[in-house]
Amino acid sequence: MKQSFVFSGSGGQGIMSAGITLAQTAIAMQKHSTFLPEYGPEQRGGSAKCTVIISDAEIISPLPKKCDTLIAMNELAYAKFIGDVKEGGTVVVNSSRVKTTARDDVKTISVPVDDVALELGNVKVANTVLIGVLIGATGIISKDVVIAALSKKFKEKSPAIMELNIAAIEKGIELGSKA
Amino acid sequence: MEKKFMKGCEAIAEAAVRGGCRFFAGYPITPQNEIPEYLSWRLPQVGGAFVQGESEVASINMVYGAAATGKRALTSSSGPGISLKAEGISYLASAQLPAVIVNISRGGPGLGSIQPAQSDYLQATKALGHGGFRAMVFAPATLQEAVDLTYNAWEYAERYRNPVMILMDGCLGAIMEEVEFPEMKELTADNVKEWCLDRIDGREDDHMITPILPEPLLEKLNIGKGMQYKMWEKLDTKVEEFMLEDAEYVVVAYGIAARVAKEAVLRLREEGCKIGMVRPITLYPFPKASLNNLDYTKVKGVIDIEMTIPAQMREDIELQVKDRCPVYEYGRSGGMLLDDDGVYEAIAKIVKGGE
Repeated sequence: MKQSFVFSGSGGQGIMSAGITLAQTAIAMQKHSTFLPEYGPEQRGGSAKCTVIISDAEIISPLPKKCDTLIAMNELAYAKFIGDVKEGGTVVVNSSRVKTTARDDVKTISVPVDDVALELGNVKVANTVLIGVLIGATGIISKDVVIAALSKKFKEKSPAIMELNIAAIEKGIELGSKA
Repeated sequence: MEKKFMKGCEAIAEAAVRGGCRFFAGYPITPQNEIPEYLSWRLPQVGGAFVQGESEVASINMVYGAAATGKRALTSSSGPGISLKAEGISYLASAQLPAVIVNISRGGPGLGSIQPAQSDYLQATKALGHGGFRAMVFAPATLQEAVDLTYNAWEYAERYRNPVMILMDGCLGAIMEEVEFPEMKELTADNVKEWCLDRIDGREDDHMITPILPEPLLEKLNIGKGMQYKMWEKLDTKVEEFMLEDAEYVVVAYGIAARVAKEAVLRLREEGCKIGMVRPITLYPFPKASLNNLDYTKVKGVIDIEMTIPAQMREDIELQVKDRCPVYEYGRSGGMLLDDDGVYEAIAKIVKGGE
């Protein structure tokens, strides 16, 4: 089984970070994964996109034309990439910023991840909430493994940041499984 | 050994260190900046030196200097920067100095775009600089292959006392995938070559430059180089041949394009098409035999897939096909990427449409 994910938004929203977390978690689960970032020359605020592939078999091409799942963190990214989702695919939108949706041949999961992150204490964990939503909605990666990965990543920063991210994952999973 | 999930540029940098590289000089350019960034902290850890030069020209000449002392030296850049290094690379070839040059290629010509492209094939394989010399060109398709080729690149450079190029597009430079690293090479006194500075006993005039040589000497040097290039072809050509046995159509692609094309070949095989692929791993020496020796009573077409327009490898392919079947090409250019569906559809149109 091979699945492709496109994370999209603008620089600073944690797009690359979310993509890498997904890929690393998949690898920790003995799957194969590739992560391909695409960004412009801007240092901040430009468009950010990354493609993550997760597969049980070795990945040959890392350049799919269409993705199974699109994650859109803002309106611009949604408009730009919604056409690249396979029919019957899944679209996770940050409804704090994406107000209109365009396709009814895909499953759309709307969660206001910015607002959820703000309620948790910091808008910066919106991307972590989003990974939680993805897990809750699709079960593509394991909750335990991603928490282990985030714990390792944030342990050195501070216990408070680590806990905030774990809370964000859990809240995301809760919202994602209801969607 | 434990696998690491790593970015292409960083994987190349680590492989270089493990392969014995102890000197790097370069000047920033996207999409290869992660190579110098990584080496700026990694090389000092192993007693090596990292220099961010004031220009590409300065950097390649620092590599020349380091190579003359017998150290394994590296520089990296992308298309526009490689053009600036051309003079220095030619001087390295003339002075018979080993060095490794990495090109993480992007859209061209000119300043082009910072997005990935395979637009430097001709530059790499035909004329990395003036004067008619050649360098071996390695074109990895996966990060593991990039690690393995970089790790051993200096063995070739030193064996033939000639620069070696690693040519990889910006996609593979930026992509993260799993790699496994070989052990750190332990370089002993045997690795310090007798030809480098301060090594020749009794030589009074110890310097290594490329002066204006007396014409007969220069001719001799070039005759030697010519013989060497023929030897590379015999000994050092690397190629992957995939599903060729009964193939009626043969795709030729290298690097990132080969990965996208292989996916299409597998899809077409599932649909019953007799199709295979030749993937050059060394672009120079080009794997001539793989194409020359195809069974042209069966092969109806050869399809060149490259992430550049017009295709640049086509001439090398045509020289081997020798009009025994048509040669087709498909590509994207300027930083627009190849994708699975696009390549599949292009090949399917040729194979199924009988065009």
